[in-house]
Amino acid sequence: MSQPSVEPLTPAATTATTAVGTDAPAGIDPRGPRFGAAITAVLLLTVVALSLAAAETAALIGLALISALFAWGAFAGIQRHPYGVLFRTFVRPRLAAPTELEDPRPPTFAQGVGFVVTAIGVLLGLLAIPAAVGIAAAAAFVAAFLNAVFGYCIGCQLYVLLLRLRG
Amino acid sequence: MDWPYALIGALTLLAASTALGLLWKARTGRAAATAPGAPPAIVRAAELADPHSDAVAPTLGERATLLQFSTEFCARCPQTRTLLAGIADAADGVSAIDIDLGARPELARRFRVMQTPTVLLLDAAGVVRARIGGAPDRRTITEQLAPLLERDPHVTAIG
Repeated sequence: MSQPSVEPLTPAATTATTAVGTDAPAGIDPRGPRFGAAITAVLLLTVVALSLAAAETAALIGLALISALFAWGAFAGIQRHPYGVLFRTFVRPRLAAPTELEDPRPPTFAQGVGFVVTAIGVLLGLLAIPAAVGIAAAAAFVAAFLNAVFGYCIGCQLYVLLLRLRG
Repeated sequence: MDWPYALIGALTLLAASTALGLLWKARTGRAAATAPGAPPAIVRAAELADPHSDAVAPTLGERATLLQFSTEFCARCPQTRTLLAGIADAADGVSAIDIDLGARPELARRFRVMQTPTVLLLDAAGVVRARIGGAPDRRTITEQLAPLLERDPHVTAIG
């Protein structure tokens, strides 16, 4: 499979001290992660419905699978996520070239957040707290849906709050 | 199994998320004038310098400064940085500074940064005149910048 040849767009700021993204990895098509988030949102909403319908085992298995997919994106990087492969194979060839490229680190961070939230839901589900499965799925759904539809970026919000706890 | 209940619940979640998204979209990138006396009212160039780096300390613009706070996990920061640098290049006496909070987490607390990018608009004296949370568009910046660029500080100092 041929990766679209991409050059990181390095903005030339005149006066900047500690520039972000000077050693940034090669940029990716920003529509890729949003395409993946749309699939994730549909799956998570299904888990929420299963949980509300008291189909507890199905909801738990569903959330465990989604959690595993989040782990894939978080640890292997968003570029190696199966949805990314799906996007590059079937969706990307039908679209115009991206107007700008994005750093892959923010969506990879978002995958990590999704993994933590869904993994907690799965763990509590296994400990016979079935409501936690639905709640975790609903929380992850909100983030995935806002990302897919509105372009919301959870790393923009959450990472700086983590920094404030540390700082 | 209670499918009607499940369907209503899922649709309610979908509607609530849509409302949340619209609210976020309406608020992100908008400028808020800083309340008089809200700390810290003045930014000094010296406090922006990274003590762990040999890089040259940034200098505030003669007429205005666009001070951006970023992190490496912020998808919208690079485009905001490009936008601000372009505006600063085109206007006389305006400088753009981008601070990586990953290297300076204490500044996140000091300037109460809740999201990235956050842009502070400083006047010639370094006084914070406006704060923009989220990625702004060009128009928001130029509108906020206009009153600061209207009068030349040197002329008003004489007149």
